[in-house]
Amino acid sequence: MTQVVTGDFVGRAGAGSPAVRVRGLTRVYGEGKAAVHALRGVDVDIPANSLSMLVGPSGCGKTTLVSIISGVLDATEGTCEVLGHEWTALSPNERTHIRGRLVGFIFQQFNLIPTLTVLENTSIPLLIQGVRPKEALARAAASLSKVGLGDRLNAMPSQFSGGMQQRVAIARALVAEPRLLICDEPTASLDSATGQAVMDLIRSAARPETNGQDRCVIVVTHDTRIFHYADTIYEMEDGRLKSHVSEHIMHEARHHPQPPESA
Amino acid sequence: MNRIALKMLFGDKGKYLSLVVGLSFAVLLIAQQGAIFLGLVKRSTGPLQNTAQPDFWVVDPHTEYVGDIRPLAERDLARVRSVAGVAWAEPFFTSRGNVDLPNGSYKTAQIIGISRSTMIGQPPEILEGRLDDLRAPDAIMVEASALKRIGPLKIGDVLRLNDKRARVVGIVRAKLGFDSNAIFYTTIDNAIRFTPVGREAISFFFVKAKEGADRAAVAEGIKARTGLDALTQQQFTARTVRFILTQTGIGINFGITVALGFVVGLAVVGAVFYQFTLENLRHFAVLKAMGTRNRRLVGMVLLQALVVGCIGYGIGVGLAGAFSLTGRRPGAELSVLFPWQLMVVALFSMLACTGLGSLLSIRRVMRLEPAVVFK
Repeated sequence: MTQVVTGDFVGRAGAGSPAVRVRGLTRVYGEGKAAVHALRGVDVDIPANSLSMLVGPSGCGKTTLVSIISGVLDATEGTCEVLGHEWTALSPNERTHIRGRLVGFIFQQFNLIPTLTVLENTSIPLLIQGVRPKEALARAAASLSKVGLGDRLNAMPSQFSGGMQQRVAIARALVAEPRLLICDEPTASLDSATGQAVMDLIRSAARPETNGQDRCVIVVTHDTRIFHYADTIYEMEDGRLKSHVSEHIMHEARHHPQPPESA
Repeated sequence: MNRIALKMLFGDKGKYLSLVVGLSFAVLLIAQQGAIFLGLVKRSTGPLQNTAQPDFWVVDPHTEYVGDIRPLAERDLARVRSVAGVAWAEPFFTSRGNVDLPNGSYKTAQIIGISRSTMIGQPPEILEGRLDDLRAPDAIMVEASALKRIGPLKIGDVLRLNDKRARVVGIVRAKLGFDSNAIFYTTIDNAIRFTPVGREAISFFFVKAKEGADRAAVAEGIKARTGLDALTQQQFTARTVRFILTQTGIGINFGITVALGFVVGLAVVGAVFYQFTLENLRHFAVLKAMGTRNRRLVGMVLLQALVVGCIGYGIGVGLAGAFSLTGRRPGAELSVLFPWQLMVVALFSMLACTGLGSLLSIRRVMRLEPAVVFK
């Protein structure tokens, strides 16, 4: 059952340490009169083994928040601890290295390299980590099989539909077994049925009983059709987490048919 | 990751081909123009390469190149012979004349006169005829490549050289000079008859040092005794090349063309490669977000640049090499010299082109914020 978060977001991660711990996070783009405050002091704990959704209108700061959480953007102020690593305390090289080992990404536009086969695309995170090409390709093939594309390993991304490309992107994101999975509007470019199928895969990635390890999945979305997949929903507005989630979000999350528990 | 970089490169066929064609053209321009320039410089020293017998060419001290002749006095030849360490010294004559053609036209010819007794300075290769026949009055030997200009000739044919009768007694092969004029070999006596001169008639003295003699001392002795310079073939070649490079516009003109080739290559590589990088920027950002370090990304960009550079270099040098073969045929009109050093120069030019051309791309990738993957 989806938990719609209201009030204090700190300390909701449960008994264990949260996967993500954010304190006083602000991010300002530009300077002086042109300054834009994308984040205005966000505090939140996000638990492991959960699928959390970050929702809100365009420009509310969702993407900025996940960019900082995933370690691809610096905060102006505040701290962001991810799986025990405080991003602001790390050098750029250290951060890049840890990001490669701990964080997986799924994007709205898939971001597959069009000149590589889906197998090669999927092997990239492993190659970045220095895994030998042969082993990387074998593991990539296994990852693609898990998303139902084991028989199309040597196809080019352009030969695939949007839904299939997103499945490749999911296989790529999970191939290195990241403990934090960041999904940016993963269903925005897909029709409803395909979106549901993609969310089934993403949801299963957040389940320790199916993936065998702790994993925190954060999904940024506008798509009300998938709210019911969330374990927790955080709503943002004007660079802050709202203390009370909007009625329509609560309605979508609670009254939409629940997804199957296993994938 | 290298394989991924290469697949990104080869996958964009349009840009890949543009890069290869641009670089090939630049390398071709640099190598081919360089080869022609070197060929011309070498041709300018052609007369020096035709004579290997002497150790020294004795010339007026103000002579700047092999075609710049101030006639020497016969008495100086005797003085040179008296210098300690000189084994022999022989006169050598060279001048220009006009040869009449059957169609009423004429061609300028280089008349070379050698000692009638010793034949020092003789043609390097005799294709037809006997050297001894050159001692006959009016006798000339014609350099083979001249036959294309002045028409087919055979032994026994008669020409009008500076309006005087000249009879062909042989066909020879020799290096042409910078102006590529037809070369006629004859004896000094005949040559002076064909080309009347003043009191001082000898162009150079050919000098051989005695076995074991200190050559530097011999040269100094000649200088002291006559005031003339005694130059080795190498020294005279260097003096001639220096003149070509500094006193003519040839070096500058070819230098400009080579520089243009470099600029074209740089511009093509810079523009196309930067565009290629821009179009792949999102993919580089994704790789960066996934944990690829800047150093690795720069390596990928450099690998892409190096691969197109090497392919372009191979094609460009191959074409330039094929072109140079046309100048290697005996008697070829085109002067082409394609030494390995030129290939090295072209290689470094290519590396500079690709290195500089990829700098903008590298800078862009280095500054790339991985956060753009969310935009």
